[in-house]
Amino acid sequence: MKIQKILLVDDDIDLLEQNKILIESKGFNVITAESAEEGYEKFISENPDACVIDLIMEHHDSGFILCHKIKKTELGKMIPVLILTSATYETGFKFSTTTAEEREWIKCDGILNKPVVIEELLEKFEEIKQD
Amino acid sequence: MIDKAKILIIDDEEGLRLGTKRLLELEDYFVDAAENGSEGIKLGTTNEYDLAFIDLKMPDYDGIEVLKKIKEARPNTVCYIATAYASYDTAVEATRIGAYGYIPKPFTPDELLYSVEKGMLQRNLLLESERLKLEREKNLLELASEKSRLKTILNSIAGGVLVVNRLGKIVYFNNAALKLADSDKFETGKPLPENFPEELKEIASEYLNADIFISGAKSLEIEIKPNQELVIQGIVSHVPEGENSFAGVVIVLRNITEAKKIEHIKNQFVSMVAHELKAPVSAVIGFLQLSMDENVKLPEEKKLEFMQRSTTRLKSLLDLVNDLLDISRMEINTKQKIIEPIDLKEILNSTLELFSLDIKNKNIVVEKRIDQNLSLINMDKSEISRVFTNLISNAVKYNHDNGKIVINISNKNNFIEILIKDSGIGLREEEREKIFTEFFRAKNKFTKSISGTGLGLSIVKRIVDSYNGKIRFESEYEKGTTFIIQFPIND
Repeated sequence: MKIQKILLVDDDIDLLEQNKILIESKGFNVITAESAEEGYEKFISENPDACVIDLIMEHHDSGFILCHKIKKTELGKMIPVLILTSATYETGFKFSTTTAEEREWIKCDGILNKPVVIEELLEKFEEIKQD
Repeated sequence: MIDKAKILIIDDEEGLRLGTKRLLELEDYFVDAAENGSEGIKLGTTNEYDLAFIDLKMPDYDGIEVLKKIKEARPNTVCYIATAYASYDTAVEATRIGAYGYIPKPFTPDELLYSVEKGMLQRNLLLESERLKLEREKNLLELASEKSRLKTILNSIAGGVLVVNRLGKIVYFNNAALKLADSDKFETGKPLPENFPEELKEIASEYLNADIFISGAKSLEIEIKPNQELVIQGIVSHVPEGENSFAGVVIVLRNITEAKKIEHIKNQFVSMVAHELKAPVSAVIGFLQLSMDENVKLPEEKKLEFMQRSTTRLKSLLDLVNDLLDISRMEINTKQKIIEPIDLKEILNSTLELFSLDIKNKNIVVEKRIDQNLSLINMDKSEISRVFTNLISNAVKYNHDNGKIVINISNKNNFIEILIKDSGIGLREEEREKIFTEFFRAKNKFTKSISGTGLGLSIVKRIVDSYNGKIRFESEYEKGTTFIIQFPIND
């Protein structure tokens, strides 16, 4: 399935807009949401081909919870869902999605570190498609 | 002998008494003489004589009786019995009671002086043995009390102490050691129990297997009960013996659970700070990179907008750094408080002046009610200004356009009450418990475009607490929030 429509969820509206402009410049269609709640609403109403979700929003685990909700849906199981975070640097706490077991537990297909490097994002989408 | 020897003569026979006295005085002795038994007893028991010569037969007292009395009171006085009626039986009897010797009457001056000399040797022996005995008793007493004192001290300290000899057998442990090692199985003469922390055992055996004395100690932290419920630090060192050897190891256990908790809170705080500092910096970098990105080609007006937004982010970063510095100053108490009588009305008015433009722009009505005879309150001016600034800033920022702020300051018995009520967005139930937490900011549709550090109320609470004041609030979502602060009026 070709990725055309990407849902971006981040409570920092500046970063959200920046990432939207960057991703759009690569020819994607980007929908944005400023909270986990809005993110889920947009996911249901817009049927995106991929999701990129900020980890720390209202709560420290808002991103994880949204991932879980999305991955419970039929559509969610089929599309790449990535978590966006800077938490790994600051807390020294590491998590990854290299094994199936980790992906099952975290319920997302990949982790992206902030700030987003658009090439990395596209690479991730490619990797996930090949899996 | 440096001191003159003191000698007592007890004899009812005047000639002999005085003759003996004179003879001894010529030899430079100090001599008292008693003419009968009762006077002899009186002198001999009230004074400490080196020697006493006691006549056996006197009209009032028997010499044996006098000897008994003197020996009872003065056991170190060396006594001779003098008698013309020498018999084997009386000699034995006298010696049994404590006479040192027996001098038959009449005696020659040489015989007398010889007895004195011999008696003085005995006297010195007696004194020396008395001195040694006292010293020994004293030492024993000190040792006993030192031992029990040491035991009491070791048992009352919060740290655990455990001593193991070279064979690895426990020779001493205190109560705290049992508690901190979470063990009830220490037994002197037995090795460290099974459930004793393995890592600590390893270090202990490393010390026990050493060839010579190691001067340094080794320590490690051990989680005794899971989930950091009990964390201890174990410190192992040698107990020295002789020059280069050791008698065993001493293990000291410290409860560091609280310290670990504080460390954890500190680490969390630091990572929160890092996160909060990183967010605006990332946003600004993002705006700058986008503006320069040749692939994106932003229109000029968009670039200008991004520059303005960058400026806003950097300003809020500066606020954050300032708030953090304030908190840090409060934490390490470097800020010198200048306590002076403060008129809160004055502080309130100057604070409102600061926000007059924002208040006008949002068309907010401010109602003030201040007690006519409001007491002055002893505080640091900059701190109380900070309380007003943070609370009024929130009341303005989180208020709706055309809203209202009510401020009451009143005397209440022995405290002053400050009430600041706004008609703003209020707090949702789940937000209420967190509002004094560092970096907490309510996130909802109203707050999206309002900047803040998430430290303002935390700073207010710290200041209020430092004056033994109280702060509470009432809030209703979409209706408004009221803060009530009470400061005790100090004399």
